[in-house]
Amino acid sequence: MQRQRLRSFIAICLLPLSAVAASTDGSEKKPIEQPAHDHRGAKQITLENGEGATITLWKPDLSTQTLNLEHGGITIPKTGLDNYHAVVAEKDWGNHKEAVIRYEYMFGRPSKQSPSKLTAVEKTDFEIVPDPIPREHYRYHSLQTWGFLVRLHGKPLSNLELILQTTHGSQQTVISDQYGRVEFQIPDDFPNLVAGERDKRSAQFTISSRYREGDIAYQTQLNADYRINPTHWQSTQLGLWVVGIGILAGGYLGRTKKIKEKRT
Amino acid sequence: MSTWINLSLLRKLVQISAFIFFVYGGLITGYYLEDKISGALPALSCAYDFQGSDLCTLIPIQHQMDHRLGEVIAKGGNLMMGIMPTLITLGTFLIFFVVLNKAFCGWICPVGTFQEVMQLIGQKLGLQRHESLPKKWVFRLRPVKWFMLLVLVFGLPLLTGIGMLNHDMGDPFCRICPSRILTTLATGETSQLTVDTANTTTLVFSVLGDFLFGLIIALALTVRQPFCRICPMLALHAVFRKLGFLRLIKNATPRCDRCGLCAKACPMDIHEIHTDMQSRNVTFEDCTLCGRCVEFCPDKDVLQLKYTFIPVFSSSPQYFKQRKKSQTQWERKNLISWFKQFRSKTEAKVQ
Repeated sequence: MQRQRLRSFIAICLLPLSAVAASTDGSEKKPIEQPAHDHRGAKQITLENGEGATITLWKPDLSTQTLNLEHGGITIPKTGLDNYHAVVAEKDWGNHKEAVIRYEYMFGRPSKQSPSKLTAVEKTDFEIVPDPIPREHYRYHSLQTWGFLVRLHGKPLSNLELILQTTHGSQQTVISDQYGRVEFQIPDDFPNLVAGERDKRSAQFTISSRYREGDIAYQTQLNADYRINPTHWQSTQLGLWVVGIGILAGGYLGRTKKIKEKRT
Repeated sequence: MSTWINLSLLRKLVQISAFIFFVYGGLITGYYLEDKISGALPALSCAYDFQGSDLCTLIPIQHQMDHRLGEVIAKGGNLMMGIMPTLITLGTFLIFFVVLNKAFCGWICPVGTFQEVMQLIGQKLGLQRHESLPKKWVFRLRPVKWFMLLVLVFGLPLLTGIGMLNHDMGDPFCRICPSRILTTLATGETSQLTVDTANTTTLVFSVLGDFLFGLIIALALTVRQPFCRICPMLALHAVFRKLGFLRLIKNATPRCDRCGLCAKACPMDIHEIHTDMQSRNVTFEDCTLCGRCVEFCPDKDVLQLKYTFIPVFSSSPQYFKQRKKSQTQWERKNLISWFKQFRSKTEAKVQ
């Protein structure tokens, strides 16, 4: 009985509502986009198989707030603080402890806190944390390589298997180094990409791992969104050509001036 | 005083240190925005630079015009709530700005430093070094920085926030700013040196940005500070320049009328330093407080850099003589002179 319940809990997943809509049909070209200016209020995410889980919201100043699961969803309230918040869902079965974490960027007044504090603090016994977490003007994009740390009781775990899975079905397995760090190249697995055309679809990746310490088995997941790499519609080669044309134009202007000066 | 130790050398050292700090300083100050120094630096330090240690103030202003003030105007909310973030940003900017005034341009800005390095390369390659642009060009270019500030930093982002323009017009200055390409390239990142074919707006702005970057590279070899002349940050500085503690002071004498060495030395070609005989505070709107005019003024205490009421650097005949000598020696050493020397030596050997 316990094993069954555990298996069902393994499928626990934190997803933003827009991502749920996007991930239901991978072939769909355009996802449901959130309005451009509607990002200052509360956020809703779904928690699959989260019955009985303890859900904690970690704010940028490291204060915490307990959240409730309602109809399979969690509402992250408007905290008034800008910056990353962490939603941590935990289930403790005695000899099995499981956790899933998602970092959500909330908008508000400046929190004056570094997200590195939020990632550094121990939020659950066994956790995977971004190292580093994408900062302003950056997001997780396909084809990019990002680092993550795996920790037990706040201490890095080396030589541990971590698995990255995406909602498009890609999977990678990496072993943590002596500092408990791994790097994943996020798969470029969005279907139906059109070269040269901007595509704002997003999908989910999950990094998970398991560890056994004595009688206790731990399981953890980190959920995050990723987007299509802009290189599909941005060309560095063309950029270099344009810079070259600019250099030629600048050289010509300088030369023209030189001739005029000689005449005068 | 040694021939080579002078204010320009000190400034170069400060510029290089500032460049390293603001382009790579994220390694020291921390990776994230919140670890940054001000978030509203009065110099072009770019947020796209992954390792940068601070942000230029024009970035939050554009975002606030787009996402706060524009939004409030569009939805009819409390206008004060829309303006408040910009006031806070400008307040932060001012806290820093009053300390160094426009010296943020002449001593700190990474783009200014880059242009001076290019100028140095141009001079050493023996390319013609234009001491000054023709007056008519200087006067024609001066309004461009105000256009950049009012239209690209305030106007278009505000119209975007109101909903009159598409979302890609929300940060038009950032899209053409050379700092975005320069600082990211400096960290080995080519993602900003692209042509973006997502739509017409991104295509036009990315082509403009890349072209401008190339233009500045080439022009900086022959013309002093080509981008600074049209930089909106210079215009923003100009608005608040009377509040800065550091100032350029002139105690005009009748000799000033006949000399004009200060104007020739000015990298921004501010002729008024020479011709204005009335003003005491000659921190003109285009001045970057680099101090070159003070260095090349041959008369005692006629030009001074003053910090509030304390003179920190004053012109003097002795300094002028040394400085002129070192400048002549420095300019004499370039690739063409080296090549001429080499050829004459070879010819002498043959004979």
